[in-house]
Amino acid sequence: MHLLEVKNLTKRFGGLVAVNNVSFHVDEGELLGIIGPNGAGKTTLFNLITGYLKPDSGKILLKGEDITGLPPNKIANKGLVRTFQIVRPFRHLPTIANVLVALQSYRGRRRIEWIKTAERKAMEMLEDVGLSDMALEPAEILSHGDLKRLEIARAMALEPEIVLLDEPFGGLNPVETEYMVKSLQRIHLDGHTLVIVEHKLHALMKLVKRVLVMHNGEIIAEGAPEEIAQNKKVIEVYLGKAI
Amino acid sequence: MLEAILIFGIINGLIYSLVALGFTTAYGISGIVNLAHGAFFVVGAYLYGIFLQPLSNIIPQEFSFLAPVTAAILSIIITGVIGSIFYRITLHQILGDEVSILITSIIGCVIFQKLIYITMGYAAAFQFRIEPLLSGQVRVLNTYVPSGHVLAAIISLIAFSVLAIFISKTKTGRAMKALSQDLESAMLMGVSTEKMYTFTSLLSAGLASLAGILYTSALTQGAASQMWMQALAISFTVVVLGGLGSIKGSIFGGLIFGIAEYAATKLLPGGGVLQQSIPFIVIIIALLIRPKGLFGKKIEME
Amino acid sequence: MPLDTITKYFRKAYTECTTRIYDIPPRMLAFLILVMFTILPYLIPYGRSLREILSILISANLMAILAVSWDLLVGRTGLISLGHALFYGVGAYGTAILYKYFGWPIWITIPLGMLAGVGIALIIGFPCLRLKGPYLALLTMALPLSVTGFLYYFGDVFGRERGIADLPRVFPGLRLYDRYVADYYLSLVLLTICSIIIYKVATSKTGMVFVSILDDELAIKACGINVTKYKLMSLAISGLFGSLAGAFYAHMVSGSANPRFFMDPTAILPMENSLVPIIATILGGIGTIYGPIVGVYLYRLLQDFAFPKIFECLKAVGITVDVYFQPHIALVAFISIIVLLIVRWPRGIVRAIVEKLEDLEEPREVEEILKEKAEKG
Repeated sequence: MHLLEVKNLTKRFGGLVAVNNVSFHVDEGELLGIIGPNGAGKTTLFNLITGYLKPDSGKILLKGEDITGLPPNKIANKGLVRTFQIVRPFRHLPTIANVLVALQSYRGRRRIEWIKTAERKAMEMLEDVGLSDMALEPAEILSHGDLKRLEIARAMALEPEIVLLDEPFGGLNPVETEYMVKSLQRIHLDGHTLVIVEHKLHALMKLVKRVLVMHNGEIIAEGAPEEIAQNKKVIEVYLGKAI
Repeated sequence: MLEAILIFGIINGLIYSLVALGFTTAYGISGIVNLAHGAFFVVGAYLYGIFLQPLSNIIPQEFSFLAPVTAAILSIIITGVIGSIFYRITLHQILGDEVSILITSIIGCVIFQKLIYITMGYAAAFQFRIEPLLSGQVRVLNTYVPSGHVLAAIISLIAFSVLAIFISKTKTGRAMKALSQDLESAMLMGVSTEKMYTFTSLLSAGLASLAGILYTSALTQGAASQMWMQALAISFTVVVLGGLGSIKGSIFGGLIFGIAEYAATKLLPGGGVLQQSIPFIVIIIALLIRPKGLFGKKIEME
Repeated sequence: MPLDTITKYFRKAYTECTTRIYDIPPRMLAFLILVMFTILPYLIPYGRSLREILSILISANLMAILAVSWDLLVGRTGLISLGHALFYGVGAYGTAILYKYFGWPIWITIPLGMLAGVGIALIIGFPCLRLKGPYLALLTMALPLSVTGFLYYFGDVFGRERGIADLPRVFPGLRLYDRYVADYYLSLVLLTICSIIIYKVATSKTGMVFVSILDDELAIKACGINVTKYKLMSLAISGLFGSLAGAFYAHMVSGSANPRFFMDPTAILPMENSLVPIIATILGGIGTIYGPIVGVYLYRLLQDFAFPKIFECLKAVGITVDVYFQPHIALVAFISIIVLLIVRWPRGIVRAIVEKLEDLEEPREVEEILKEKAEKG
């Protein structure tokens, strides 16, 4: 059984078909990348899977369970978490509190082992992403790179089955990008399944084993990063017809 | 009975639609929920009443209909100016901060209410008699309706039509429509949001004042300084039913509200007392069914 | 950073953060309060008796409870309410109905009145939570205005304009003067207890979730939080304390539960019970817990003491203002200032002052600041 299965997902906005009959699956322990030019439907697909949009047709299965149409918080509690492309911290809370509130969810409270308190768990999450020094600072003073790491800490706090990351490298300088690659690799090695939507191809290609390419709401190619890089159709889609 | 309910309901409803029109237009174009709309409703009614008497004395008998017309025009223009000045010095500075806009505009209502009280005295602030536009009754189908009501409803329809034509035909109007649909693109096209927002505030205050004149002369024969609450309650109900920002929805919402309200007051025993609560009941029922109103945000005509 | 350091400084850091929505350092607050109570005697216009003053203070304390409950809902959870008078009136009518028709003593009727407040909050809240910003604001404003219709429809039960009168005092046995003093201390105790409870809620993990809803509802949903549940919780707590204030007001001040709790066209400030929490909280600082309290006191201070004093002084100089108009002019002046303050400093007047003071500090070298930070960490 696949960990995540998307079957024939379609979403229309008025006359525009943003996601057109998309099907794919993710197995446990995988590191999947989804790429595609702007407007390909990646974010819409994301929002559909994570419950922020309702599909017009199709199904989404998590560990065999149908989660189509469930609200975002229920999906998160079942183990499918996401980060946001444009960072969404809680500005009026200290950094550690950003993680603490996630631990107040149903899944958060169940998952904390009896010996750990929520604070301790939150600190661990921050340490994992290197933000432990900023624990008591209000989130609003964190730099963009730090906020991206906070997104991850917050998502990981729920000990998810699968993490969907929306452009985790967005806005990061080369040093931060390298750090993020290493963080994500570590998370993957710990046994988590990751799905990454990304624009920055060089960072993504280093990381993932399998890539899906989207264009105009459809999946036009699938395979290992090396294959995809050679795929004529993919190159066309990104660079235009003439090479 | 049914016919009376429909006829009175529609007539009242058209007036209600006009009450909400300025409010919904302001939101549709600038995204602002300007609660001071209620204040301009009241100010418009009072200015009309103030101008009416002296004008009636000046204008000779044969042209007596000119008196209310002139008073109305004066009131609309002055209220429009007051409205846009208020907008410029307050709301325009805090665009984007929705909570503060709500709070500031409602405080604005109180300020205007108090100013009326201070300038006109206790009696006038409490009950200020405003003559209906026409006296006598008119027969519509099988029901007798006060002529003033019918005239008010007709004027309301005319106002809607004029606004619709303005939006679709004139440059300014189309700029407004563009703003309501896509702010960024409109700005890229050279639409000056500052000028447009100011013009919108002028327009919606003017509409508020026209609505105030019609409402107080036809339906209540008098104005009171606290009527801004009533105006807002009506506006809310209409936009909840018809959707905030939609002109078409305003008509629709107003009609439904008008009919439902009249039916309730006539059909329920002792229902007249409930009149104040009916907006709320209607709102709750409507929101339970469709939390976003029945029409969307864009200014649509046809 | 070691965990015990975290837990030790967490409360402090958290309070600092959340009170930055608008903020006021505790020292500044203490200073303000000191100033207020010091100059109070000099502001008492000629002819005000202690009883009158106590009466004003009792009202202020109860209104402050209402304002704090408003702040929890709006400033901390982000659910705009333009009609908090609803809870005030529900609490009042709740206790009044139970007293009149069941004859129960007030130590039963008041808590049950509070439960009625919670019940109303949940019943109204449920459909409301689906509403987008402007619709929610409009609905909350229409609510108290519309309730009066119901009160008149079932006029025999609710007593129409007069409402339900002759409610028992809290301390019926005491003589008049002593009763005012006792009521004042009771109101002060109530204010303190309610503020502490709400403060505890606000600084608890639940309170943190409230702030996260205020900051970014979409993001907190992605963390698995059931936002609806927490919104209802915030609404219920707010309703609980709001109706507590209303119930006590009915017994201590007005002696009756009447439609004017919801909306009073004859009052100097229309929609008073809905607008005062808003105005006071803005003045004192949204999102803090003490902000609304400071704001209510400032409001009453100005309206009941400062402005009459100003008019008195004007009279001495020869400018006479009709007594009937005085409170209205005072109100217009006051709220016009509020409007201009909101417009000029939307992030809070007090915060602007504080920032100004910080700007006046000596500029320091970057190394100094870094060294300081290293030593702290």
